Amino acid sequence: MARWRDNRESQAARFEEPDYAALLDSVRGIRWPARSAVRGGIPGAHTSRMRGSSAEFTEYRPYRQGDDLRRIDWKLFARSNRAYIRLSNDRAILPTTIVLDASASMAFPLPSLAKWALSAQAAIALAAVARNSADPVGLVIARAKEIVHIPPRTRQSVINEMVRAVSETDPSGDHPMTPALDAAARTSGRIVLITDFLGDGEDLLASASRAVVAGKEIHALHVVAPEEVDPPRETLLVSDPERPEIRRPLTGDARDSYLAAFAAWRDRIAHEWSEAGISYSVAIVGDEAPDHLVRRVAAPRGVAATS
Amino acid sequence: MTFLAPGFFYASLAVAAAVAALHFIVTRQPRAGILPTARFVPDLPANATARATRPSDLLLMLLRVLIVLAAGAGLAKPVVKPSRGAEARVILMDVSRSVSDTNALRDSVRALYRNHDALVVFDSSARVIPGSAADSIRSVRFGQARGNLSAALIAAIRAGSGLRDRADSIELVVVSPFAAEELDAATDSIRGLWKGRGRLVSVRGTSVDTSSSSGALVQWPKMERPSFAVARAKKDTIGGVLAGNALVISTFERQWSFPRDSIRGAEVVARWIDGEPAAVEMPSASGCVRSIAVPVSAIGDLVIRRDFVRFVAALNDDCASRNAMRAADPGVVSRLAGTGRLASRESFRPRGDIRSDLAPWLLGLAIAAAIAELFVRQRRAARAIMSRPAVAEKRAA
Repeated sequence: MARWRDNRESQAARFEEPDYAALLDSVRGIRWPARSAVRGGIPGAHTSRMRGSSAEFTEYRPYRQGDDLRRIDWKLFARSNRAYIRLSNDRAILPTTIVLDASASMAFPLPSLAKWALSAQAAIALAAVARNSADPVGLVIARAKEIVHIPPRTRQSVINEMVRAVSETDPSGDHPMTPALDAAARTSGRIVLITDFLGDGEDLLASASRAVVAGKEIHALHVVAPEEVDPPRETLLVSDPERPEIRRPLTGDARDSYLAAFAAWRDRIAHEWSEAGISYSVAIVGDEAPDHLVRRVAAPRGVAATS
Repeated sequence: MTFLAPGFFYASLAVAAAVAALHFIVTRQPRAGILPTARFVPDLPANATARATRPSDLLLMLLRVLIVLAAGAGLAKPVVKPSRGAEARVILMDVSRSVSDTNALRDSVRALYRNHDALVVFDSSARVIPGSAADSIRSVRFGQARGNLSAALIAAIRAGSGLRDRADSIELVVVSPFAAEELDAATDSIRGLWKGRGRLVSVRGTSVDTSSSSGALVQWPKMERPSFAVARAKKDTIGGVLAGNALVISTFERQWSFPRDSIRGAEVVARWIDGEPAAVEMPSASGCVRSIAVPVSAIGDLVIRRDFVRFVAALNDDCASRNAMRAADPGVVSRLAGTGRLASRESFRPRGDIRSDLAPWLLGLAIAAAIAELFVRQRRAARAIMSRPAVAEKRAA
């Protein structure tokens, strides 16, 4: 039960910065295709909704006035005496922003801060995977008193900037995630929310739903600590780090009620977010390696992640 | 060691056991911890508690038990019992005017006295000599007061109660010339309260000069003021007068009274039935002078009644001081010795005025422990505050 002890010194001593170099190396070959065709734009790796002139043939379309004459398939014209335009799938980039929750509830359990460590690793790894697909990647950290916003960029150093920003962040306070999501939605087509949903859940869902309707691809990664799923059987007077006024005794009887209430809440979150068209995943700290978690999130719809 | 009020000690034992039990079973606030999902815990009262299978704070428990036990023991008045011997004595030492050879009496008492015996010195009153009385025997002063064995026996019974914890049997020893004046009507009854035989050590009493005149000069004025008497502020009547065993029942008009100051050193030889002196006897060089303030009416048959004749005869008896110095009746004296075994310790009631020297110390210890408990409790509370999840609260802030 040492992890339940609140000891400032031991926290500083036992929280270790994740080894991002090894993590980036482990996710090097992972691709993260868009779940649906993206809007056209700068040529990239994702299938675009636009038809273009790439080498990947798709279909013919009768020539219409105004079409570029250079796109007429002259050989087909010679055989059929009709003018057809050769169409092919266009490819585009998908700007991706990771929205990271840095509230006090993520600083758990003390002193290892395993929730925060896993969230930071997932954020950096997903950004690296997106960056490997030549997508611009950005980061928004919703932390106390400010929102750290790194706009989506394709340059090589953006990952280093993100690592630095995450390392400098000390999860604390109780601040809403919705502004961070809105900020990310303005610049990105794909947004990954990494949070424990213990903040402004209702507003966040509403904002994410609006983004989905607007054609954004939203991924929600629900980070849960095993101590939250299975709290110790020892009687404790537990307090909410984001709302200190909540101090409740976790006794044997209360524990059963807690387990039922927490499970029901997680089911409700999963149902509501999935219903909203959001890719919802649960990450329980310690259950799987970060790279496996990234494979699971990045896997195309209907495809299970393989290690 | 024993307790004068053991109920307090037994009660404190029960309370101490309850205190210790409370430390084992008392519910205490559980250890604090951080849980981000605390909102899903049922909103029970925050002071819901956990049972402790062993005392959480042994020092506090010991201090509290000490407070209760020390206070209980202090209120129970513990006394240290002295080692008990087989036999102890209560020695009655006569220092009245009846004793003529004071040195012989001192020697007798010194020979009888052992450590832890009780010495009672008596003349008209009795005094128990406290502590070790061996040195006091030499310095005892003999006076001119009349001896009173009844008072001495009462003091002896009280001293016997003090000795009941020191000896299995207690012997009564009386060192006295046993003059007649030292015994009174109550002596036999009081002696009966001492449940055991006694030892009588007789010493030489003041000799009675039989050659000198023993007659009493009786002053019985008809109308004038009797010697040593003053006029009453208000005349009254009374129904009887008593001299020795002679009682006269009649109506007398009292005109005179004997003030206490004027009859100092005198013997009252007759009393009105309400206890006021009716006649006093003052020693004189040739014997004694009796002043009688009993009016005799020439009317009626009072003077020829038998009871009045006996009354007059009693007033004409030898001087009281002369009678007093006579040795008491041997039969009466032998009854003082008694028969049977020595009085056992159980025949004396335990004294109710025994002081416990330990009680104030124990109560002081209880107070000191209470103060220490206060400090320990405060330190414990401060430690509990320091161990709160301050880091998490700071983060939340």
